[in-house]
Amino acid sequence: MMLPWRPRQATLCVLACFLLILSGCPSPPDDKSGPADGDSGSEATSNEEAKNEESFAPLEPYDPPPLAEIDAEADWFDRPVHIALDLLREKQANEQPLATVQEALAIKNDSTDDNEKILSALGRLYDSPGEANFDTELNRHIPADIKSTNPILSSSTYEGYVIGLTGLGLFSFDWNLEPFAVGEYVVSWQTSKDLLRDKVVIRDDLTWSDGHPVTAHDIVFSFQTIMNPEVNIPAVRTGMDKVRWIEAYDDHTLIYFHKEALATNVWNLNFPIIPKHIYEESMKEDPTLVDSDYHLAQEANPVCGGPYKFVKRIKGQEVVIERRDDWSMHNGKQVREKPHFKRIRFRVIEDSNTAMLALKNGTIEDMEFQPSQWTTQAAGDDYYKTNTKVRGVQWVYYYFGWNMQRPYFRDVRVRKAMSYVVDYDHIIDTLCYGLYERCHGEFYPTSKMAPDVPRTPYVQDFDKAEDLLEEAGWTDSDGDGIRDKTIKGRKVDFEFTVICFNQQLRIDICSSLAESLDRIGVVCHVQPTEFTVMQQLSRDHDFDAAFGGWGTGADPSTLENLWKTGENRNYGVYSNKEVDRLFAEAKYELDNDKRLEYYRNIDGILWEEQPYTWLYFRSAFYGFNRRLRGYMFSPRGPYGYGPGFDSIWAAEQ
Amino acid sequence: MTGEENVVDPEGEPAPTPAGPLHAVIPKSPGFWKEAWQRFRGRKLAMAALAFVALLAMVALFSPAIAGTKPVVVRYKGRIYFPAMAYFNRHWENPVFANDKFRKRYPKNLEDKDPESWAIWPLSFNDPYRRVQGNEWAGRPGNPTQDKGRPSRLNWFGTDQRGVDVFAQMVHGARIALLVGFVSMGIASAIGIIVGALAGYFGGWVDTLLSRLIEVVLCIPTLVLILALLAIIEQVTIWHMMTVIGATRWTSIARLTRAEFLKLKQMDFVAAARATGIGPIRIMVRYLLPNALAPVLVPITFGIAAAILIESGLSFLGFGAPPPNPSWGTLLSAGRSNYELWWLIVFPGTAIFLAVLAYNLIGEGLQEATDPRLRDTGD
Repeated sequence: MMLPWRPRQATLCVLACFLLILSGCPSPPDDKSGPADGDSGSEATSNEEAKNEESFAPLEPYDPPPLAEIDAEADWFDRPVHIALDLLREKQANEQPLATVQEALAIKNDSTDDNEKILSALGRLYDSPGEANFDTELNRHIPADIKSTNPILSSSTYEGYVIGLTGLGLFSFDWNLEPFAVGEYVVSWQTSKDLLRDKVVIRDDLTWSDGHPVTAHDIVFSFQTIMNPEVNIPAVRTGMDKVRWIEAYDDHTLIYFHKEALATNVWNLNFPIIPKHIYEESMKEDPTLVDSDYHLAQEANPVCGGPYKFVKRIKGQEVVIERRDDWSMHNGKQVREKPHFKRIRFRVIEDSNTAMLALKNGTIEDMEFQPSQWTTQAAGDDYYKTNTKVRGVQWVYYYFGWNMQRPYFRDVRVRKAMSYVVDYDHIIDTLCYGLYERCHGEFYPTSKMAPDVPRTPYVQDFDKAEDLLEEAGWTDSDGDGIRDKTIKGRKVDFEFTVICFNQQLRIDICSSLAESLDRIGVVCHVQPTEFTVMQQLSRDHDFDAAFGGWGTGADPSTLENLWKTGENRNYGVYSNKEVDRLFAEAKYELDNDKRLEYYRNIDGILWEEQPYTWLYFRSAFYGFNRRLRGYMFSPRGPYGYGPGFDSIWAAEQ
Repeated sequence: MTGEENVVDPEGEPAPTPAGPLHAVIPKSPGFWKEAWQRFRGRKLAMAALAFVALLAMVALFSPAIAGTKPVVVRYKGRIYFPAMAYFNRHWENPVFANDKFRKRYPKNLEDKDPESWAIWPLSFNDPYRRVQGNEWAGRPGNPTQDKGRPSRLNWFGTDQRGVDVFAQMVHGARIALLVGFVSMGIASAIGIIVGALAGYFGGWVDTLLSRLIEVVLCIPTLVLILALLAIIEQVTIWHMMTVIGATRWTSIARLTRAEFLKLKQMDFVAAARATGIGPIRIMVRYLLPNALAPVLVPITFGIAAAILIESGLSFLGFGAPPPNPSWGTLLSAGRSNYELWWLIVFPGTAIFLAVLAYNLIGEGLQEATDPRLRDTGD
């Protein structure tokens, strides 16, 4: 029902690809995790990322052929249109809960079994609406304030939380990352045989919160605004340049024209939508959308198209949104399911200790934990008095990335030696509290692209590492206890710096690497940096090694961004002709199984070459108030998919 | 003229007493510094503080012998080595151990590779940089990790979440705390005294210029400057931080020196010195500076306390000594993520408090001991 997946932010993460993960683990700055990329800090991320991807091709005028002509030659085939909550109902109809609600609320989540029981019992939708309290107010936690209420300007994960509820988006994807058109807004979605066109018919019972109807022209206007180079929103623009044009043939019929027949075109269909009647005139005076008095007034009280609208916002403290009855009701008739909460209050609490206290006393009702909090602060009776907790695997992995331009890491033997040096046990069992899963390559073992035969993981082995280093020519020739090698007549010591985001867990992990390397005569300095600085260094390839993480894109094609020669997130300057070729071929492969095979092969090559030392998948840890039900985890966390947050409801007390 | 009492005879020697049976022998009158020291000694608190700082200095100096996993002295294959010196500088660890593949683990390897060897170990077998694992030392369990690291027989002040011993970190962190205080204030006093002396002695446009410079520097917030610098410098070390603290904190020293010089240069002995043709540099260094030094020592002492606080604060915020260097502030910040780990807050917190308090007490004691107006108020 409600806006299943949000506007642009989704798209950003989804298509744009692997979004760099900001945070990841314990300690306060990091818990700004988000759903989409499973991680935090994305404000900085997306914004920064965005600015540097400004080199997009501006929209060229296009004269679309008449609709009749298109219909005649398109040979349309139907694409899925779903109401996400119905999808979830279907799924749950076949599942037997492993415990009753009472049992689930009585146990503590100390094992995988417990976790499954709690998720299966409390994760269900209500059988009859009478079980749910639709008149209640929900208090949600966001670790950082939103910067804008305008969906087009949104870039952070938390803005995604809020705007996902106040904005409308025509497309979403489910927990298997399968895309679909959102049934609350779309009547039909068809694609032409040649994949160059998509036809979307939207419903005629949609209104903005000021009473104006939502029409196809709003969507075209939004698209053109997004592609307008004068509007500074590169984050939202990512991937959109693959769309040639969007035309509204009447108030409800849209045709999307693509530049190329890519298997991944579907991921470029979604973007945030803004009301044309509000912004059309004012855009001309103030294309930034943020400067003029009129736009400031809109920012304070925006016209919303989603199931909720803004009612209050205190900067740095809270954002309050309220259910729009004119969203579910149209002309006195119920046309969409009623959203589950009357009002939602997003409380901004940056410090994770404070947020934990707020969760314990019920001031907030959901919160993402660090693993350390999961095992310590969220384990006692005082915690379970008001809350329960659940965890789920996310396809978000962390790695040490080696810069191939540096003399040390050009040699695959050195990179393999690095993978043999890392103290995986210490990192995963001690530093990450034993709650994370080892990662062996780009794809999660249960995903369709995972290797057929499970891989033998690297384990710490100093003998192998030393042999590999010696083979590669790194020996301690001058007897100072540090390995060196003569490169172009100059003796180079094996002494490098690993950069990481300035956050305790990350620093600890890098220090662990440094300590292990120290034992075999390699000097490694740890340099924690500001996130933006780190981004800059990464993009300029101005680093030796880096610790970082990526959240999964919904489609493996997003990997191209990381591994193809010259791509903008290929920070380590990895280049392999075979990989480039496979990426190029995969893009035009329309048979999905064959396509996935390409990505499986790419992953195999990457694993062999170890441009990263893959460390672990970061699970998601969430605390929920005891009265909340209906939560579930996707590979992108509990919120970053359809239905995501929309399936959460409060039990009648 | 009260100032006169402060005046030290530049040549240092008391005037020779006229000899002769008619005159009783006048005892040599104590010099200014000796007198000040006597008065300082009478202040119990200040003396206790001084003793505490001396203790800290000893701890810092002997930190590798107090806590560490490398032997202080070892006889290996017939030769004597001092591997613990590696805690001061990694190059001081003899490469023989690397070549013999010790991989920085001494106890077992010493026994395996040379049964004849003997070693003197630090008081506490714990490393400030890493967790001690199980059986690294025969029979010794690994350090507890996560939230289980309460103070115990093996880990006197407990361990942090990584399993690294808090006591070892504090002992080695004392080095940073002391170093930051002394080095940054050393830099600050050098700059401050020179600038203040020039401004005070020459006056006129030199004074105007330097005073404006002081005011400009006064406007620069140390913390912000350090944060900005951290973003620019690639390999930030503790020395960068000390330099920045030193380069911004000299203003109060300069102002005091200037004021003292302005006052002292009017005195007769300076006029006399000038009349005998002594050059300005010599007058400043030999005649004015010793007399001006006492009041200037006070802000320096307070400055050391402030520098320690700044360093702890920066480390607490995560911008301090680069990892894995142990620092008191870093420990505090590790404790911030979970208040139940009280030992991460209490021990380093107390250490910072005591160190800062000690320097402040010393500063106060100095002030009272050297300022004649305060001289008799204290005790």
